[in-house]
Amino acid sequence: MEIENVVTFCRGLRERGLSVTPAEVVTAATVLQVIDTNDRDEVFLSLRSVLTTSVDDFPVFEELFEMFWNRSPRKLVERDSGATVRARNVSQPKGLAFFLENWSASVRAGAEPVKVPGASDTDSRAQKDFTAFSHEELDQISQLARRIVKRLASKPSRRWQPVARGHRVNLRRSLRLSLKTGGEMIELAYKRRRAKRTKLVVICDVSGSMDMYSRLLLQFVYGLQNSFAKVESFVFATSLSRITGELKNKTYRRALDRLASNVQGWSGGTRIGASLANFNVQWLRRIDKRTVIIILSDGWDTGEPEQLAAALAKLKERAGRLVWLNPLLSNSTYQPLTRGMQAALPFINVFAPAHDLASLRALEPHLIL
Amino acid sequence: MREEVRQIQQLLERQVYIADAGVATALYLSMALGKPLLVEGPAGVGKTEIAKALANALGTKLIRLQCYEGLDATTALYEWNYPKQLLHLKLEESSPASEAEKEAAIFGEAFLLKRPLLQAITEHERAPVLLIDEIDRSDEEFEAFLLEVLSDFQVTIPEIGTIKATHRPHVVLTSNRSRDLSDALRRRCLYHWIDYPSLDKELEIVRAKVPAIGQVLSERLTTIMQATRTMGLSKIPGVAETLDWANALVALQATELNDEIMAETIGCFLKDEADIATFKAAQIATD
Repeated sequence: MEIENVVTFCRGLRERGLSVTPAEVVTAATVLQVIDTNDRDEVFLSLRSVLTTSVDDFPVFEELFEMFWNRSPRKLVERDSGATVRARNVSQPKGLAFFLENWSASVRAGAEPVKVPGASDTDSRAQKDFTAFSHEELDQISQLARRIVKRLASKPSRRWQPVARGHRVNLRRSLRLSLKTGGEMIELAYKRRRAKRTKLVVICDVSGSMDMYSRLLLQFVYGLQNSFAKVESFVFATSLSRITGELKNKTYRRALDRLASNVQGWSGGTRIGASLANFNVQWLRRIDKRTVIIILSDGWDTGEPEQLAAALAKLKERAGRLVWLNPLLSNSTYQPLTRGMQAALPFINVFAPAHDLASLRALEPHLIL
Repeated sequence: MREEVRQIQQLLERQVYIADAGVATALYLSMALGKPLLVEGPAGVGKTEIAKALANALGTKLIRLQCYEGLDATTALYEWNYPKQLLHLKLEESSPASEAEKEAAIFGEAFLLKRPLLQAITEHERAPVLLIDEIDRSDEEFEAFLLEVLSDFQVTIPEIGTIKATHRPHVVLTSNRSRDLSDALRRRCLYHWIDYPSLDKELEIVRAKVPAIGQVLSERLTTIMQATRTMGLSKIPGVAETLDWANALVALQATELNDEIMAETIGCFLKDEADIATFKAAQIATD
């Protein structure tokens, strides 16, 4: 294979979204010097290990490789490619998929969903966001949730804490210890950075107007809840329910089952202000400056905006950060003009969309205090 | 196929590691180019085994760095042995040596606790295999630090100076994809993905690793394992579980997989109560 070919091939990969830098091109060229270039499989395997950085890149690479060598697609060596992974991912949460499809319908039973505001634009787009939601992406949501929680838990604080075996010698304590041996420093004390613990409180709107988002968001909340961290989760439509316990379940499906049977008032109207006021009465004392509060709602409130403003003001005062995720923000023409949203805006630190995976991912830095 | 690749494949086979062309090629390139090899794949498919088999095949030392959350430079690279230093100073208290001499003495190699990365760099006889296991469990800060070590294979200790690797270690990193690794690290490495093996390959592995198991039983066992992986369980059993199960069957001197044996040994490959229920339901459905 000629150098020119390698360069062209790499450019092709780059055009298809793989990050192939000149450094990789050089490596690829070097590789071809040390392998048997007449053995197509060997060229394939070698270039793949150099030019891809993740199993997700395999299909793109494979396709271009086939195209480039212009041969009929045939099964390459017994290859451990991503194809089988994908197949597995799809078959895996079959029960979950079924349940997700039917869950909201069965629970809703009679409650007339509030119409989503704004043109059909929002409607169809949002619909598409979610029907197009593959199981692979559901998987990614849980992964993202785990990752966020991990970042929350492992941020080192500036403070030190003494430990039995560790990282740095705790001089002050070691000197102190040496007193009992007559000033001889025999026993050493250690210290390490204390981990900064951020707490997370998620309050999710599950009223009718949020129906199609709450499936995604609950999956996200479930992921957060089931990682090792301090997460409290709540849902509200007309009234507030704490669902931390319900979500702590091995499978998402079981969690949803318990939710459906224990929590009333799904998909009804929305009373954000009253629900948040209720939250303040019961849970405000648990909130401190190391708590990030996430509210997931479209801001359609049938209650009084004054009540919402008052509740949020209280929350804001206690919490470290107040994040409001509004799925409607994904629509470029959307303006937060509803009375509820208008009342809420002054108290919100971060106002961001939450309609797909990318928007949730963008959230990550905002959650670290 | 290049002769070297075939040789590696044979060498690994002698270590009872069934390597396909992909693994062998990746290892060959990693050695030929002096680049670390990043191996990803689900749990229990033999990622760690690659490094072990490679070390045995090359007749060299395996140095393992197990990553975990909070792993930092002092546990991965080096640390001074403070108690020993103190003790030494105490003993030397009455010696006529000057302060500078004493200080030089306690910052010598005798007081240095070498952690895996430094060990790998200072290995004098021949290039060791450095296995950095489950890199995805370490913090991002550690990843950045690791990048630095992996690019130069040299370490600077302020009190001693720069130590450069006499032999560049063969580096294998493994990851379960529990978090995204940085692009910089990925780019520095060659990449290989190991998936669950095909039926034929798994059969080959079982027969190589557990020769005592019979022809029929091994076929039955691997067929069940292959089917189990498509059931959408929460913990999908890997090859490690297959081998555990095969060993258990041999220990029980089982000759067939009847209900009783199944009930006794199901814990070898299914480690979750809900998964066992799913498995049983699926079995009844197929019967």
